[in-house]
Amino acid sequence: MTTSRSYRRTLLFGLVVVFALLAASCSSDSDTDDSSSDTTAGGSTETTAAGASGDLVGTFGIDPGADGTDVTGSYFRMVQSGGTLADGPFVPNGDSTATDQTYTLLEPGTGGGLTTGQFQPGPDPLFDADGNALADAIIAPVTFFGVSFAITTSETDPETGDPVAEVTITNEDGTLTGQTTAVTAAYGGQEFNQGVPKPDGSLPGESAEVSGTYDAETGDYTLDWSSQIVGGSFDGFTGVWHLEGTFAEA
Amino acid sequence: MTGGTQQAGGARRWPLVVILVLGVGLALAPAAFQMFTRAPQGETMIKEFRPFMNEQTITDFRAYLDEIGAARDETTGALQPALGDPAQFAADYPQAAAFVEQWDAIDADMSDMLDTIDANRDEFDGISSLPPFALFPWFFVIPGALIAVFAGVSLVRTRRSRRPLTVVLVVLGVGLLLAPAMFQMFTRAPGGGRMIDDFASLMTRDRVTQIQGYFITIGGGEGQLRTAVVPAAVDQNGGNAADYPATAQLSDDWPQLLSEMSDMVGAMADNLDNYAAVAALPPFPLFPWFFVVPGVAVIALALVARRSPDPHPPLEET
Repeated sequence: MTTSRSYRRTLLFGLVVVFALLAASCSSDSDTDDSSSDTTAGGSTETTAAGASGDLVGTFGIDPGADGTDVTGSYFRMVQSGGTLADGPFVPNGDSTATDQTYTLLEPGTGGGLTTGQFQPGPDPLFDADGNALADAIIAPVTFFGVSFAITTSETDPETGDPVAEVTITNEDGTLTGQTTAVTAAYGGQEFNQGVPKPDGSLPGESAEVSGTYDAETGDYTLDWSSQIVGGSFDGFTGVWHLEGTFAEA
Repeated sequence: MTGGTQQAGGARRWPLVVILVLGVGLALAPAAFQMFTRAPQGETMIKEFRPFMNEQTITDFRAYLDEIGAARDETTGALQPALGDPAQFAADYPQAAAFVEQWDAIDADMSDMLDTIDANRDEFDGISSLPPFALFPWFFVIPGALIAVFAGVSLVRTRRSRRPLTVVLVVLGVGLLLAPAMFQMFTRAPGGGRMIDDFASLMTRDRVTQIQGYFITIGGGEGQLRTAVVPAAVDQNGGNAADYPATAQLSDDWPQLLSEMSDMVGAMADNLDNYAAVAALPPFPLFPWFFVVPGVAVIALALVARRSPDPHPPLEET
């Protein structure tokens, strides 16, 4: 009887040890799986280059714009007030190095590109004495109409003073969606919201939501959105943004 | 007595009823004219236009137009001839050519706009010297409410055979009468009305879009002159960019010029709704009379109410 009890205790202890080891093993597997899938505090799923769907948290590296038969890489255009995305007219930038000067070619900033999940604010001061923007994290300042502009993301929209969220981009089987509400263009001593949707959730005029493509294997992406300026000297003009390059997970 | 004229405590009641109605009407007028929303919009517009409504700024802007014009003249007189005939120049440098072609019309329109602004500086100063627009509705509500309350109290008093509060009502009436004079409304309000009328042609979406387009034309031209036309002319003729001093000056000043003039365009764009709200208020020249007429009426009616009616009224029928 005593022997039998002792045997049962030993067996029970052995089972506990086995379960503990199995649990530790599963936990380790779960950590490994974090590289492809995890659940964030908000309940959304983060995805890396190897994943199929979910939020892309990291930096969308910017390939420089390049002139050619067609403009390739990352660029910016501006639709004149009253124009349309399809037909323009687009503002010709005399400082553009592209043959078609309605394209302003972009180059990556010191941060490599547009980062999701965190802000990329500009320096203080944001402008030099001539109104040239000094922010250089997302893109290198680029000359437009004789004055350099740059883009930033901050927790407060400079135009409205409203709080805004970090940029979020979501991959769904290779199709990108998201919001760039925090994106602001700094130009000529002024700041213009250039994200979508606007801080109040609207899509004024020719504004178009974020769309894009994503190759989960290579990390190659394209991102497009347009944002109509509301108020100020460029009221009614629409910024058209095309970024492309390679996404790098944070 | 009949016909609404009553006697009590030695006073007429009907004038007090009319004063009560006047007071209520005065107090409700801002709501009827949507002054609680429109007046603050007017204040915002005045604040945002103030930096541009002074002689120095307008002089600076006129100097910028002269500077742009000088660059245009240099382009047609020196740069364009160096680079071929006008047709070839237009084909090679479309933005510079568009600037050359459109400048006269742009200059005329922009100068006209500056003339309009300049001509209204005194009117603007007068309007901006008035008490804050946001307070305007309360200039109606507070005296109107006080008049209505004291008229009502007077009515109650006369019902109890006591005298109406004539002195208080007369003082309130005099206050209404003097307010426009104190704030120089008789001169400032008509001036404001003229300014609102003169700005009607400037403060429209189409006009703002047109002026924005001017900057696209000028900016596109400046950029192409600086980056392509002048270098090509230097290649052709030798020398350097300084040989085209008007164009060089424009390029040097362009960031400042663009910043200052686009600020004004921005102020116009941002205040289209505010202007529309102010323009929708009753005509400015009428504003002093909105105080004077009720003021005179209250004084006269209060005095009439105070006068003792017929000392031998007919006996009431039973």
